[in-house]
Amino acid sequence: MGSDTGDDAYSDIHLRALNCEVNPLTRSDGSAMLTQGETAVIASVYGPVEVKTQNLQIENATLDVCYRPKTGLPTITDRSRENVIKRICETAILTALHPRTSIVVVIQELENRSGLEACAVNAVCLALLNGGIAMKFTVAGVHSILKENDEIVLDPDSKESINALAHFTFVFDSLQRNVVAVNTQGKFNMAQYNDALTICRAASGKIFEFYREIISKRPV
Amino acid sequence: MAEQYKLIHPSKYYRDYLNVNIRPDGREFDKLRPNAINVGSITTADGSAIVKVGNTNVVCGIRAELAKPKASTPDQGFLVPTIELTPLCSPKYRTGSSNEDAELYSAALNDILINADCLDLKKLCIYKEKLVWCLYCDISCLDHDGCVIDASLIAVIAALRNLKLPKVSYDAEIEKISVDTSIRESIEVKSSPVSTTLMVFDDNVIITDPTAEEESLSSCILTIAVCNGEVCYILKPGGTPFNSEQMDLCIKRALAREKSVLKLLNNVLK
Repeated sequence: MGSDTGDDAYSDIHLRALNCEVNPLTRSDGSAMLTQGETAVIASVYGPVEVKTQNLQIENATLDVCYRPKTGLPTITDRSRENVIKRICETAILTALHPRTSIVVVIQELENRSGLEACAVNAVCLALLNGGIAMKFTVAGVHSILKENDEIVLDPDSKESINALAHFTFVFDSLQRNVVAVNTQGKFNMAQYNDALTICRAASGKIFEFYREIISKRPV
Repeated sequence: MAEQYKLIHPSKYYRDYLNVNIRPDGREFDKLRPNAINVGSITTADGSAIVKVGNTNVVCGIRAELAKPKASTPDQGFLVPTIELTPLCSPKYRTGSSNEDAELYSAALNDILINADCLDLKKLCIYKEKLVWCLYCDISCLDHDGCVIDASLIAVIAALRNLKLPKVSYDAEIEKISVDTSIRESIEVKSSPVSTTLMVFDDNVIITDPTAEEESLSSCILTIAVCNGEVCYILKPGGTPFNSEQMDLCIKRALAREKSVLKLLNNVLK
């Protein structure tokens, strides 16, 4: 790593502790349980598998993403999360390699202590890597919040994010560290947005480094 | 011949136009389509608006119902926006099955209204812990020609500003609700957010206010909502990775749109 010049300027980047259990599920093609601080998500990937005829695409694999909340039925927020993750996967995966098939991604939320979307994206990416699905690039989700006096707090826990004025969740690609997806909440101006973006972009390097560490340790 | 070419190679056809810096409908990349707003045309609803953005046509009706508040927020009412995309508006949609787009749009609309702090939900409270207003904003899309979120947001704001609620009094001792429909009052809409949808073609050309045809060829669609010169919502669900300059350009275009839409809204609701 270290290709990005922004890394040195933010040597004091502090993300919550990342922990990953590789392939906790025996029946799926690839799975990962990821915890970022106290937020925990488990993601599993099957694929390429047979596709339902109505979803069949002649030139690409179809992505089937299912997000399960901790309790109860999926709400409209969960459905929208599911949709965003689906589109992120469509961008990252080389779907043209497996036309007329389907790649199934299932995400189970275990604990939400802030930064759930970012954690889910990272867990899905690790599961895809474990499942050996060919990708254009890996993706890293980073969450940050805006507090009073223009202060940006990177990857806060649930206690820190209580008085947040705005939330930012960015997803970066591993090639140019460009923004694949953004989701924001709350009001902010362009300068505040750009501050958050710079800090999150620098922090994404740590997550990509973590991926590398996990994959290199993986038993073959 | 041009028509056959368009059918067989839609992307190439589109690219030919973009190479000479114009879109097939004659607009430049950052030009918006004309908007039209009509308020209060549905007399059976408590507040309503019909909005056109180019060919896109949405109707919003607000149905006010009395409800019991949640125990966690005993002094707050509800604002529930729902977008309906039926086969009427586009051949993309089928009856019966659940609709991903409609869910994504409804969730986005709800987020924008909350982020922009449009309504003080406490003002919808009639009697603490007992009775509040629940405003169902039902949005029906009649014609889907791109940018449904933008049109829906204008429609919801116009309908909310058009909304008149009857006077309700609640007697806690005998739990009696009395509604006086002869006195109707409007509610305070604190802010009017405006959203802009943009798309990316061939990973490099950024186009504002795309039509449905353009949306189907896009490699990325994003929606940005602004309110009083501040950004209150950005949704970019995947698609082409953006560098900082591209994102800045999109935000600037979104900020530039706010004034014209607000002027139109204020004119209509005078």
